[in-house]
Amino acid sequence: MQHVRLWIAVGAVALLGMAFAQKQITIAMIPKLVGIDYFNATEQGAKEAAAELGNIRLIYQGPTEGRVDKQIELIENFITAKVDVISVASNDPVAIAPVLDKARKAGIKVVTWDADANVRDVFCNQATFAGIGKALADEMAKQVGKEGEVAIVTSSLTAPNQNAWIAEMKKVLAKDYPGLKVVDTKPSEEDQQLAFRVTQDLLKAYPNLKGVWALSSVAFPGAAEAVQQAGKAGKVAVVGLSTPKQMKPFMKAGVIKSVVLWNPIDLGYLSVYAAKQLVEKGLKDGDKIVTKRGTFTVQKDDKSLQILLGPPFIFTPENIDKFNF
Amino acid sequence: MKAQPRLRLRLSVAELVLVGALALAILVMAQLSPQFLTVRNLFEVTRFVAEAGLISLGMTAVILTGGIDLSVGSILGLSAIITGVFFHAGWNVWLAALTGILAGTLAGALNGLIITRAGIPPLIVTLATLAIYRGLALGISQGQAYRDYPEGFYSLGQGYLGPVPVQLIVFALFSLVFVLLLGRTVFGRTLYAIGNNETAARFSGLPVDRVKLIIYSLSGMLSGLAGVIFVSRLSTAKADAGLGYELDAITAVVLGGTAISGGQGGIWGTLLGLFIVGIVRNGMTLAFINADVQLVFIGLILIAAVTLNQVLRRGRR
Repeated sequence: MQHVRLWIAVGAVALLGMAFAQKQITIAMIPKLVGIDYFNATEQGAKEAAAELGNIRLIYQGPTEGRVDKQIELIENFITAKVDVISVASNDPVAIAPVLDKARKAGIKVVTWDADANVRDVFCNQATFAGIGKALADEMAKQVGKEGEVAIVTSSLTAPNQNAWIAEMKKVLAKDYPGLKVVDTKPSEEDQQLAFRVTQDLLKAYPNLKGVWALSSVAFPGAAEAVQQAGKAGKVAVVGLSTPKQMKPFMKAGVIKSVVLWNPIDLGYLSVYAAKQLVEKGLKDGDKIVTKRGTFTVQKDDKSLQILLGPPFIFTPENIDKFNF
Repeated sequence: MKAQPRLRLRLSVAELVLVGALALAILVMAQLSPQFLTVRNLFEVTRFVAEAGLISLGMTAVILTGGIDLSVGSILGLSAIITGVFFHAGWNVWLAALTGILAGTLAGALNGLIITRAGIPPLIVTLATLAIYRGLALGISQGQAYRDYPEGFYSLGQGYLGPVPVQLIVFALFSLVFVLLLGRTVFGRTLYAIGNNETAARFSGLPVDRVKLIIYSLSGMLSGLAGVIFVSRLSTAKADAGLGYELDAITAVVLGGTAISGGQGGIWGTLLGLFIVGIVRNGMTLAFINADVQLVFIGLILIAAVTLNQVLRRGRR
């Protein structure tokens, strides 16, 4: 039923579109930097959406290094070029704000995605802390069961994102999996070697350890390698956040069963749909954005509006080969 | 005696070629994008080139002596951080900015001292200080960004007087000073003399070391000033400010016809070079052409200009 309704909606939107003899919308999309797998994936999604929608002229341009001054220069030029939408993954939420403000005053709509900025009409948010925390907790319980000792290898003990994830994970544990006991939390300071060593220490200190969370793209491969070298692949689970390409070897070797992240292709795709709707109809709290990849809801937030991409994406041995980032 | 007027003529031919190239660039870009040839956009271009432009003034003087200053981008970053640190320590923002510029001047003076006293080639000295000054900026700031300056401070990098961006006025003023300094003063002549034949300049009793110390200090000062404008334009001081600006400045100078071995060239050429690159970059962005294509294109222009320059010079001999 849900499916049918969705297709009716898609059909209706398509018909409406044709009826209005659509005006072309120029979207200037600016990633943090170009030439890396992650932002190639967002570009792929954006292009796909632009092709589906038809009346989108998509410009995907970014600096060759992740620098905000280069992004600002690009945006200044896009304001002069009179694009309809500036859509940016900002390298610095504060420094980029004045130029985004200037864009809005020139009548250009501002969308942010991946990394928010202090000025924007809408933010396409790839994941919430609660969503990531829950996915990590559920994934661990799925792999080790609802009882036993588990430990955390985090980034640094003061890292705000990691601490927010840990807090959300612990909420889920207390509610759904009280039998899973977190026996230790070790910092790895964005250092893969350190993550490797602290995981080795954990394996020695807690012989009954059933699983380890590794909460950064650096900690995850470090922890997985430690488990692999200790010959405990399949006996001690490693669950964490990273990009699929980096973790593929560990998955093929059977050390890990999943990688938690979001799907950047979906993120680029959503940002284009959101931009089109913002220009043509405006967006407000509670609006729905209907796409071939699902329906997304617009919500009010502390700055303006945001659209959540949905629950995190779990990369598994079945789907990991489809992703190249 | 006859060499003097001939030298002038030769330079003006090289510059004429650049004027032609600039006109061509403007024509092509106007074709690529309808928004290019508007007063507003042409003023915008000057906003983008002002910082690298200030640096390239000092770089022209340095290269005229046969030297080079690779540390300018790092000095920009260091000055930006010093400005931010002192402001956040409670200083008046303009006083903090002056301190940043002073720090840049001292950093440049240190370059000059090592080059003249230790006799190490400028390429190596400034390659080392490129790392050192950037390291200092990172160390002092610990990767932190300094923000929240008073509204008045932003006028320098974001403000306009009528349609004219404030930093363009600053840049034009310094350009004029440098045109006069290099073209009309004994100091300027000395730069050319050093670049043409340093040994001969020394034997003629010219104060070679003192002049070099002054130009490296000037180069540092201008980088410091560019750093302050950068902070004002971005409302933020961060240690990565000005990364790679040394290459932008050297590109403008070399494209402008100043010989990398020294002794030939001048500020007018550098200004033309700067605007050719600025206009090509701006025009291609307005036409939505990707940054990678732009880089290749600018590289090709550079090779073409330098080749043409050499052919012209050889033809004159």
